[in-house]
Amino acid sequence: MSITERHTFRGGEVRTAVRDLAPVALGLVPFALLIGVTGARSAAGGGTAVLSSVLLLGGSAQMTALTLLAGGAASGAVIATVAVVNARFLLYSAALEPHFRDQPTWFRWLAPHFVVDPTYAMVSRRLDALADPAAFRRYWLVGGGGLALAWIAMTAAGALLAPVLPASAALTVAAPAMFLAMLVPQLKQRTGRRAAAVAGVVAAVAATLPHGLGLLAAIVTGVLVTTLTDRSAS
Amino acid sequence: MTLFFAAVATHGLRTVLITLVPAHRLPAVLRRGLPHLAPAALAGLIVTALVGHAGPLALVVPGPTHLALAAAGLVAWRFRNPALPVLAAVAVAIVVEVLS
Repeated sequence: MSITERHTFRGGEVRTAVRDLAPVALGLVPFALLIGVTGARSAAGGGTAVLSSVLLLGGSAQMTALTLLAGGAASGAVIATVAVVNARFLLYSAALEPHFRDQPTWFRWLAPHFVVDPTYAMVSRRLDALADPAAFRRYWLVGGGGLALAWIAMTAAGALLAPVLPASAALTVAAPAMFLAMLVPQLKQRTGRRAAAVAGVVAAVAATLPHGLGLLAAIVTGVLVTTLTDRSAS
Repeated sequence: MTLFFAAVATHGLRTVLITLVPAHRLPAVLRRGLPHLAPAALAGLIVTALVGHAGPLALVVPGPTHLALAAAGLVAWRFRNPALPVLAAVAVAIVVEVLS
């Protein structure tokens, strides 16, 4: 590969990551604001909300942690609940592992911090284009790092604007709409439709389970049923 | 300090199958399931957001969120730009709030 080609390629990944990140970050703005507002309006505090964005980088776990902390829950209960809510990251990591296999040690230990629903969905749409380890590394650092920075900034904005922001359904509807935008292209394949349908039904039935267990059950059941009934793989 | 230990636990979940026990050493049946993870996770996240803690009945009782997500679904089906469904959902949610 010539120097010109290499530079073009690098620029391509960075541009692709920015292009993929922009709508995702836009969709996450209301959710991040909501987390900042929730923290600022509770006993947990706006600073704790921002710190949770830095340390946890996962909206549902942050909401859970802030709610529990504001309610005076014990540390052990908060840590265990956050771990259960974030258990799906284990599955995302397993799926992303081939892209981390030939990476430098620092990347394999630090970069998984960006493993979260939107980054997993972003990468899963571009698996073929990111087969080269260096290409994946650049895409992941720009996409994941950019997402983390935007998330932290928007959480801080939510905490600062909490006194003036009105309670609105628009704050809660943006994140699922963004996930829907990511899901629709995956429904072109029969296995994608089956996995989504099974997971959706289980998520509805198990919604009353505490600590995000319903979501985890939905994902595991959707994957299991689709794997066991996928004849094209056997 | 509680948040710090919660972050350590979360980072453990994120790294264990990448760094400590690489997923390519997992049994073949588990690896076969990984491509189905994205649609299952996204559908689970959407339905969980839609029903909240109300259970499956919340799916059949229409509300502003249903309307907003239906608009987002239609836009996502028609256009490839992932920002448009979000904008459509937010716009519908605001319009419904203003009108009600």
